Amino acid sequence: MVRAVFDSVAERYDLMNDLMSGGIHRLWKAALIDWLAPRPGRHYLDVAGGTGDIAMRILDRQPLVGRVTLIDINYQMLRVGRGKAINKGRLANLDWVTGDAMALPLPGNAVDAYTIAFGMRNVTHIERALAEAHRVLRPGGRFLCLEFSRVFLPVLDKLYDRYSFNVLPLLGRIVAQDAESYRYLAESIRRFPDQATYLGLVRAAGFRNVTYRNVSGGIAAIHSGWKI
Amino acid sequence: MNEEPSGPAVDPRLLDLLVCPLSKGPLRYDRLRQELVSDQAGLAYPIRDGIPIMLVDEARPLEEGEGIPSSIRVD
Repeated sequence: MVRAVFDSVAERYDLMNDLMSGGIHRLWKAALIDWLAPRPGRHYLDVAGGTGDIAMRILDRQPLVGRVTLIDINYQMLRVGRGKAINKGRLANLDWVTGDAMALPLPGNAVDAYTIAFGMRNVTHIERALAEAHRVLRPGGRFLCLEFSRVFLPVLDKLYDRYSFNVLPLLGRIVAQDAESYRYLAESIRRFPDQATYLGLVRAAGFRNVTYRNVSGGIAAIHSGWKI
Repeated sequence: MNEEPSGPAVDPRLLDLLVCPLSKGPLRYDRLRQELVSDQAGLAYPIRDGIPIMLVDEARPLEEGEGIPSSIRVD
């Protein structure tokens, strides 16, 4: 299901992200990179990296990072992303791999940081994806996840619900010619565990010093954890 | 070499990094077929246009007797 959804939206994915969030997803992603604070020489893994949005931001923020490996279950997204990277002259130190967050094709203790932005929601078994994240991180490695979460402001939550189930599929129909895929997105956002529940899952996977920050009143949240 | 596959080559550093997503064991690169072969799992993962497809359900099961050709072993 997930793969079919993203195959059909890959080409217009970046445009849709801007329209859907009114460009706010850029601020959330910037907040993720702020918290990550990429450092020279380190190896970053971005899972569900799609068209390379987070990977490019890591490289923009810190051009001296050792390497960014980008994994996504959808080959078409990676091709679109690699095409963009080629056009920008950004190819060095970037790996593009089709893979599953629940069965990563990497050895244990391989990377310094694991990021996933708006990807955990689409994983069938969150616990398995978290276990894989923990496995591939080196001791001292950082886990950071940006995901839609629960709005905690009383008026915003109603507005947001109306938006996600009415406006979002409409936008999807007009821009991506695909209302169904965006209805799926709205439903997957609602199904994803709230901030505290998800924090518990991250901790249960073995991460320590687990914390989270809300962005935009809880429309999204960034969870952070460390492999000790 | 006219056996050279078309499309971008796979970065050797990437080949060093990847393991079989199922067995987490080593892979060998079959340049001719453009596959990453996991002998432990008995699966060959395709490489399309320089991008490895490390998904079990898109891998080719190795046929019986499809051994390890020593000439292309890289690990």
